[in-house]
Amino acid sequence: MSTPARRRLMRDFKKLQEDPPSGVSGAPTDNNIMLWHAIIFGPHDTPFEDGTFKLTIEFSEEYPNKPPTVRFLSKMFHPNVYADGGICLDILQNRWSPTYDVSAILTSIQSLLSDPNPNSPANSMAAQLYKENRREYEKRVKACVEQSWAD
Amino acid sequence: MAASGATNDEMMDIGGAELDNNKNEKMFTLKKWNAVAMWSWDVECDTCAICRVQVMDACLRCQGDGNRQAGGKQPECVVVWGECNHSFHHCCMSQWTQQNKRCPLCQKEWSIQRMGK
Repeated sequence: MSTPARRRLMRDFKKLQEDPPSGVSGAPTDNNIMLWHAIIFGPHDTPFEDGTFKLTIEFSEEYPNKPPTVRFLSKMFHPNVYADGGICLDILQNRWSPTYDVSAILTSIQSLLSDPNPNSPANSMAAQLYKENRREYEKRVKACVEQSWAD
Repeated sequence: MAASGATNDEMMDIGGAELDNNKNEKMFTLKKWNAVAMWSWDVECDTCAICRVQVMDACLRCQGDGNRQAGGKQPECVVVWGECNHSFHHCCMSQWTQQNKRCPLCQKEWSIQRMGK
């Protein structure tokens, strides 16, 4: 069954293959174009470097007028990631625009890893350590990086 | 080296050249010339940033299975320009403005400047 949302996602996938952004990758699951798996590589020169973080992206038929639900499957320690993997990012909520696509979503999350926003924390411990004890923050992040290789 | 000194007339003189051993010996002659022209739509933003289809074509919604026999294009699937000069399919934009009255590209308040084909 073809719908506007599914046809848009086919275009997103084609663009992602023809013009792949560096450090991220994503693809629809085998039999459901509304559910994608993605990987974000931890950005260089951040404590997330060398991490291979897995995510799921779930779209509704209202896409691209409504944002998808994006969730980390890998365990994360980040001020803006909830314990269940949910992500607190303005462009996935109230600042969403229908001009965004999978490529834009993944690169935005990748830059969130480099630049956390500790003022709207989803993980208050991570936010506090990020602000007050950067060494301990980086130690906890490194543990997630190593864990990301296993899952 | 021989061709570099030749004039245009000499280059184009295909059949009638009396081969003077030194001067008129041609390295190559032009036998066929194919001119190719390119064109594109003369609009500022040629792809609808919402559905990613050219604004002059039917939007993704109107390209649906049910509409294909009607040539794919609905009469109301026209281009719409905002005061900010960004253009989209009217179909795509009217879906978006139901929930947010801002231009999806520049976030300025959306008001229609003109509509057309």
